[in-house]
Amino acid sequence: MRRRLPGAVLGVLWILPALVLIVGLILYPVAYAIWLSFFDKHSFFPAERWVGLGNYARIAGDAEFWDSLWKGVVYAAATTGLQLVLGVAAALVLHQAFRGRTAIRALVLFPYMIPTIVAVIVWRWLLNETYGVVDDLLLRFRLVREPIVWLGVDHMMTSLIAVSVWQFTPFVVVSVLARLQTIPLELYEAARVDGASAWARFRHITLPQLRAVLFVVVLLRSIWMFTKFDTVWLWGEGAGAGREIRTLPIYAYMRTFTYYQAGFGAALAVIMFLMLMAATLVYFRLFWGEEEAA
Amino acid sequence: MIRSRALAAALPGFALVLSVTVLADAADKKVIRLWQTETEPQTLAVLNQTAAEYEKTHPDVSIKIEGLAWGDLEKKLTAALAAGAPPDATHGQPITCVSFAAKGLLRPVDDLADSIPKDNLVDAFRNLCRWDGRTYGVGHSPASSVFVYRKDLLEQKGLKVPRTWGELVQVADALREVKDGQVVRWGLTMTGQPLFINIAVGELLKTNGGRLFDAEGRPTLTERPVIELLDFYKQLNRVLPPGWTGHGYLDTFANLANGKAAMLYQAYGRGVGYIEKYAPKEIADPDHFAVADKMVGPSGKTPAAQLDCEPWMVFKDAKGGNEAVDFLRFFFRDESYIPYLHSVPIHLLPIKKSTYRNPRYADNATIRKWRSWVDMQEKYFRNDWIKPVLVTDWDDMTKPYLLEVMGSGILVDMVLDSVKGMPSAEAAARAQKRVEELLASSGYLKK
Repeated sequence: MRRRLPGAVLGVLWILPALVLIVGLILYPVAYAIWLSFFDKHSFFPAERWVGLGNYARIAGDAEFWDSLWKGVVYAAATTGLQLVLGVAAALVLHQAFRGRTAIRALVLFPYMIPTIVAVIVWRWLLNETYGVVDDLLLRFRLVREPIVWLGVDHMMTSLIAVSVWQFTPFVVVSVLARLQTIPLELYEAARVDGASAWARFRHITLPQLRAVLFVVVLLRSIWMFTKFDTVWLWGEGAGAGREIRTLPIYAYMRTFTYYQAGFGAALAVIMFLMLMAATLVYFRLFWGEEEAA
Repeated sequence: MIRSRALAAALPGFALVLSVTVLADAADKKVIRLWQTETEPQTLAVLNQTAAEYEKTHPDVSIKIEGLAWGDLEKKLTAALAAGAPPDATHGQPITCVSFAAKGLLRPVDDLADSIPKDNLVDAFRNLCRWDGRTYGVGHSPASSVFVYRKDLLEQKGLKVPRTWGELVQVADALREVKDGQVVRWGLTMTGQPLFINIAVGELLKTNGGRLFDAEGRPTLTERPVIELLDFYKQLNRVLPPGWTGHGYLDTFANLANGKAAMLYQAYGRGVGYIEKYAPKEIADPDHFAVADKMVGPSGKTPAAQLDCEPWMVFKDAKGGNEAVDFLRFFFRDESYIPYLHSVPIHLLPIKKSTYRNPRYADNATIRKWRSWVDMQEKYFRNDWIKPVLVTDWDDMTKPYLLEVMGSGILVDMVLDSVKGMPSAEAAARAQKRVEELLASSGYLKK
């Protein structure tokens, strides 16, 4: 006779694979990084020395850390803000009925689909001040008198922000567009009957309806942009001017793999993690506080 | 119909048998992985041919050679080491070799070095990577960075070849050409790639009689030659293309070859390939693209250049260390070595005197045509005017932390701080503090 497993045991067995994955791929690396941050540890030697909060104390007095933190905040804030404004605007346009809408909707996704390395190579080439199309057009139309050095020390951050916004705005467009399609049309019709202008309809119907999706979009995009590594690394790779975009993830990488200070690098990663946790908690609190008040 | 069905049914079986056979064959062989920095297709073809020939007499060994970009090598090696999966043998900067040897990561390669009699080695490369009296690296092929200028353009403007830093700036200024308000040719081009700024800092400091470290290993960035170097960078910044800090090493070759720049400070023999490919045919020769001694700084006496000669190193824990050394011995035989050198003839020069004397080596049209470029590099070797990156004195090769200093980018930041307008003394003091902190926190320097 077959014995049946108790329901509770069966339940645990069903969620066990997911638990193993979460522990192995999320909890263990985070815990190990926290543990490592208390050690003076070379990047590829097993020997380690307990330094307690020593790495954190060094970080507090490290001018490079503060500089990279500032650059990271500027990059994350600028790119998230621009993605939000442009993404919502593009979604509103794509929500309207016009010929070729389906094709354009598909086309808008394109920057988000192509590999980062391809996007970076193409844009670096387009923005090259000697051979690039962008400067050539600006000069031809006499919009500038001299080529703009997009990849030099003065405009490195600006060009990185522009390329990142180009690359990641489609995520906002898709998210907002999906929500726009579920807003009941009756709301707009009723507002029109009441004589509401287009701006009033946007402000009092569309925006409140988008509130929840915008909350998630802002949260995800700001976390992703603050921790963004590949685009930033590739944009500054091989250029001395890359220092102008040395954000916190890049600095943590450098400390770990070019200074060979894995403990210090881990401490930087932990600080970045704690900052994001704190910002997320504050953000949640503000959002739910407003929700409850409403 | 029946035949095609039978064929369709047989195909998966055939594929299965084939893949099992291939896998079994691969499993029987010991795979030796080598990383190296020559990525040009013709060089990779020669290396793969050498590997194939070696495998004919060593059927139990499979040699896998991978080409990696020079500027990325150290980062990739470190990541591979951190992941516990380095190759069996690799190229690296001489300072990387010393750093790895000091950390106990390398297998001594005295057996490889001894296969080339000492008196057969070009003198400048005998002690490229030694630690605790043992050899840990043997250079694959030496080259020197060279200064290249457009001889025709200097003559047209009645300019003399610059001999000092000051003259270089003046000539660069005079060579700049403007048309309709746009600069159509810059007087000078230099790369802003971090590795090459590190190289240039060491090289320029040598031409200015300076040093990066004192005998105790303490950084000396606040000394006068370094301040003068940073002042010089401020002047260079005026005459270089405005985007130079974002220009790669190969961009500068392109600038020179296609006439966008008249002089290149950090050229290498590899540039000949670019000139022959991209410059107008009628000027793609050493009469137009000439080489000259590097300029001397205000506190210096002799020219200096960077030695570009990555040693082959073998990792201590490599499963195929002995086989890698055996293959490298095979590689250094003239039968394999000369085709390798000829794959980039003016850049890959022989490390063995006997190869120089071999008529087969000299029998190369490119070497004959660009002889002046080879002679210039040999002059640097002969006079001991070349040192590896960040080495201003051969004694620096006993400092195991130059790799960390290079990787940290502190010297690059120092140059950029200065170029962006920070007073040179302040930029130098800031870098000094950072290098001291780096060395102290890594245990190399007592606070």
